[in-house]
Amino acid sequence: MIVNSIRLENFRNHEATEVNFAPGINLITGRNGMGKTNLIDAIHYLCMSRSFATSSDMYVVRQGSSGFFIEAQLSGSIRSAFGLSCSYSRGEGKKFRVNDSPLERLSDLIGIVPVVVLSPDDKRLTNEGPAERRSFLDAMISQVYRSYLTDLLEYRRIIRQRNRLLSMRNVRPDLLRIQLEPWNQQLAKSGAKIIERRRNVLARFARFLEDSYALISGIGLKPSFEYKTIAPVPEGADETHIAGLFAALIEDNHDKETERQMTLFGPHRDDLVFYLDGMELRKFGSQGQHRLFALALKLAQLAYFSDTLDDLPVFLLDDVFGDLDPAKVKVLADMLNAHTGQAFITAANQTPFEGLIPFDTARNRHFSVTDGPQVSPVSAG
Amino acid sequence: MHLTSETLERAVEHLSKLPGVGRKSAQRLAMHLVKQEKDGVLQLAQALIDLKEKIRYCSNCFTITDNDPCPICRSAKRQRSVLCVVEDSRDVYVIEKTNEFKGGYHVLGGVISPLDDVGPDDIRIKELIARVNSSSEPVTEVILALNPDAEGEATSFYIHKMLSPFGVKVTRIAHGIPMGTELEFIDEATLSKAFIGRNAF
Repeated sequence: MIVNSIRLENFRNHEATEVNFAPGINLITGRNGMGKTNLIDAIHYLCMSRSFATSSDMYVVRQGSSGFFIEAQLSGSIRSAFGLSCSYSRGEGKKFRVNDSPLERLSDLIGIVPVVVLSPDDKRLTNEGPAERRSFLDAMISQVYRSYLTDLLEYRRIIRQRNRLLSMRNVRPDLLRIQLEPWNQQLAKSGAKIIERRRNVLARFARFLEDSYALISGIGLKPSFEYKTIAPVPEGADETHIAGLFAALIEDNHDKETERQMTLFGPHRDDLVFYLDGMELRKFGSQGQHRLFALALKLAQLAYFSDTLDDLPVFLLDDVFGDLDPAKVKVLADMLNAHTGQAFITAANQTPFEGLIPFDTARNRHFSVTDGPQVSPVSAG
Repeated sequence: MHLTSETLERAVEHLSKLPGVGRKSAQRLAMHLVKQEKDGVLQLAQALIDLKEKIRYCSNCFTITDNDPCPICRSAKRQRSVLCVVEDSRDVYVIEKTNEFKGGYHVLGGVISPLDDVGPDDIRIKELIARVNSSSEPVTEVILALNPDAEGEATSFYIHKMLSPFGVKVTRIAHGIPMGTELEFIDEATLSKAFIGRNAF
């Protein structure tokens, strides 16, 4: 998928910005705080309905305005040319449109423009708690399988319903048990769908992770992971089998869950445990290994998307080159030159790329962001 | 902004409480009524009053009706042994439009949803069990026609469970592909359910 151009109104620090991008690598340089990241964050917002740089929509609106607007012209393999826009206003929320028809549900949007982001925040993938890894996994799968997001939202709804029941006071224990039963059954069925999908995707993902880690590290350590879910699931178990395991687990823990008044088991508690040559990364990994692992996870996502989807993903690299040693920069630059999809890089200046990525070609373009913010192409030479 | 007439303001205020009507639409509706012939407006007012004074729920199936029992329950042409369970009266009208179903209805008046403080006792499940259990009009089949979302599914499951001691056949309407749409526009969940529920050609 190619983002041919984008237009921003009141998005973060961009009051009115319009940029025509190149189909290959787009380098965006400028001093700190100029709005480089905000520009590629706008692309991310259009793809995923959220910012990768800030958690609340509140901070996405430019100070002093009541809403924002993003519009991009794209071209892909199935829809050859189309417009995608998002308008947000305080109070009314956000509305996405493809050409001029509104998208009713979030699951209608996610996956239209597949996207992969590299950012300094990636270190959280290996450093922080399981929630970070689940959200990585969910963002990845929902871009490949449309029904996954719908299933996930339904699963979360069932948990909320069930937790409400579990926390109800003044319900006789035998009646509570009867009332819980339909929700237990729904939880097991819906949870099994999520687990099955995560298992299948991860089984394919493993190979891409190995390749990416080998490429970026250059040394022979073998990365792997263990998908930890409700219980050990036998190889080849299908959705019905998983639902059965889950239902039994819920039944066995009835007393525990009523006492704690919440749903304690299920894919909302899943985790991925990372290993290097069989050693647990969290316990034994060095800072450098953590960084490489996180980078490899994202590169593996890129490779998985490129292999699976009709449209190549849009690749966003936010401020990641400053921290890498020259050898890694070279590996990444080679990868970008070989990647036939579109990429966007933000960096303080062009120095790391000199002699590695040419920006005087028809495929690549270099932009600088200056006060205003003003985004303008830098002519070659 | 306040309007130049308090009477108008009061009407706008009431109209804007209706679902799907904002303040602007309410103003447009009110202004429209001001310009109408008096007769038409009085008829509208009477129709609104009748909604509260004449409408009741059928004591048998709990659908909205003027006369209890409702025309469907009174009809000699309907099969009394088959009951279709729906969430509210609107669903009855939708199914009636198809002319496919010749049995009776049972309107639950909601679905189980703990988040909205609706439990099994807050909707007409007990009444359904009583109908299935009654000896005067034996029921052989209960068709569940609730929405295929988490709450609808949980309610269906609960009813199925509650009816199991009575040996009545419990079925549910099929999930499938809407007529007039193309396969490529169907979401995966619907399509996979349509596959599971496929029929012999």
